[in-house]
Amino acid sequence: MSDTNVTVDDIEAAGTDAAAAIETAATDHADLPGHGGHEEHYTSLGLSNMKLAMWLFLGSECLLFGALISTYLISKARFVTELVAGNPDVIAGISNGENGELVAEMISEASVEPIFDIPFTSLSSFILLMSSLSMVLAHKAVSEGNYKNLRIWLSTTMLMGATFMAGQVYEFTTFFREGLTYDGTVFGTAFYTLTGFHGAHVTGGLIMLGSLIYLSFKDKMQQDRAETVELVGLYWHFVDIVWVLIFTIVYLIP
Amino acid sequence: MATATTDHAVEAHDDHEHHPTARTYWITFLLLAVLTAIEVAWSYLGLEGLALVAPLLIMMVLKFMIVGGVFMHLQTDFKVLNGYWFTLAFGIAVVLAVCVYLVVFAAFNFNI
Repeated sequence: MSDTNVTVDDIEAAGTDAAAAIETAATDHADLPGHGGHEEHYTSLGLSNMKLAMWLFLGSECLLFGALISTYLISKARFVTELVAGNPDVIAGISNGENGELVAEMISEASVEPIFDIPFTSLSSFILLMSSLSMVLAHKAVSEGNYKNLRIWLSTTMLMGATFMAGQVYEFTTFFREGLTYDGTVFGTAFYTLTGFHGAHVTGGLIMLGSLIYLSFKDKMQQDRAETVELVGLYWHFVDIVWVLIFTIVYLIP
Repeated sequence: MATATTDHAVEAHDDHEHHPTARTYWITFLLLAVLTAIEVAWSYLGLEGLALVAPLLIMMVLKFMIVGGVFMHLQTDFKVLNGYWFTLAFGIAVVLAVCVYLVVFAAFNFNI
C-alpha cells in the first residue's frame, strides 16, 4: 500500500491512453470487410451469415417449386388424357357449358396450349428478365456509392415487377372468363396454384424493393449496406429463375 | 480458427470486388433475351416430340445457369466457398433431388 503513489493525474493519463487504444482497435476493426459501421458476421465458408441463410432459404424454395411443378405436370397429363377420352366431368369442368369451341380445340390438339396466349406471356417473361438486369445494376450502384442510380434501378425493377404482376392478373382474369376456374378441374387447380405461388413471391419481392427504396430515400441504404441489396437481389433473381422454368414447362411445351 | 475465419472474410471481400462489371451484366441480359426469343420461335416451328422438347429444355437450363452464375454471383461466390467438399455435397444434393422427382414421376406414370 505504501508504494502506490497514484495521483489523480496518473489516473486521467491512464484513462486517456485506454480510450486511445480502444479507438485504434475500433478503427482497425472497421477496416475489416463488412465492418464499416454495419456489422456482418462471416461464416467459415467465406460468406456472411445473412447470405448463407438466404441461400438456404432459396434451397427450401427450390423444393417448394419443384413439388408444385411436378404436381402441375402430373395433373396436366391426367387432365389431357381424360379430356381426349371424353370424360364429361372434365369437359364440363373446363367449359362451364359455355365455351365449346375452346374445348373442341383442346381435344383435337390433345393439349392445353389453345388456352394460352404465348405472345403476351413471352412479353411479360421478357419484362421479368429485364428486371433482373436492373436489380444487379442497383446492387452495382450501391456498391459504388452511387445512390441516385441505386434509386433509379430499384424503381425500374419495381416498375417492371409490377408490370409482370399486372400481366398475370390480366391473364388470370382472361382464363377465368374462358372457363378455366380454380376448382373446375385438376389442371386448373394445379395451374393457378403454381403460377399463383410464383405471383405471391413476386409480390413479396415488390414489398422488399419498396422497402429498399424507402430506406434509400431516408439515407439508410448506404454503401456499407450493399449486402442487403444483394440479398434482395438474390431473392429477385430466384423468382426470375423460377419463371424461366415455368415459362418453358407450362407455356412452351404443349 | 479466428485467423481462418478472417482469411475467409478477406477472401469474400476481395470477391465482392471481382463481381462482374456492368458491361458483363448487359451482355448477359442480351444473351438471355436472344435465348428467350429463340425459345419462343422454336415453339412456333411446328415441331413435335423430342425435336420440340429437347432444345427447349436445353435453352431453359442454359438460361437458368446464366442467371444463377452471373446475376446471382454463383460463378464468383462458389470460388469464395473454395470448398471441394461443399461443392461435392451440393452436387450430391442436386442429383438426389432429381432422382426423387424422377421416382415420383415414375410412380404416377406406372400407377405404383
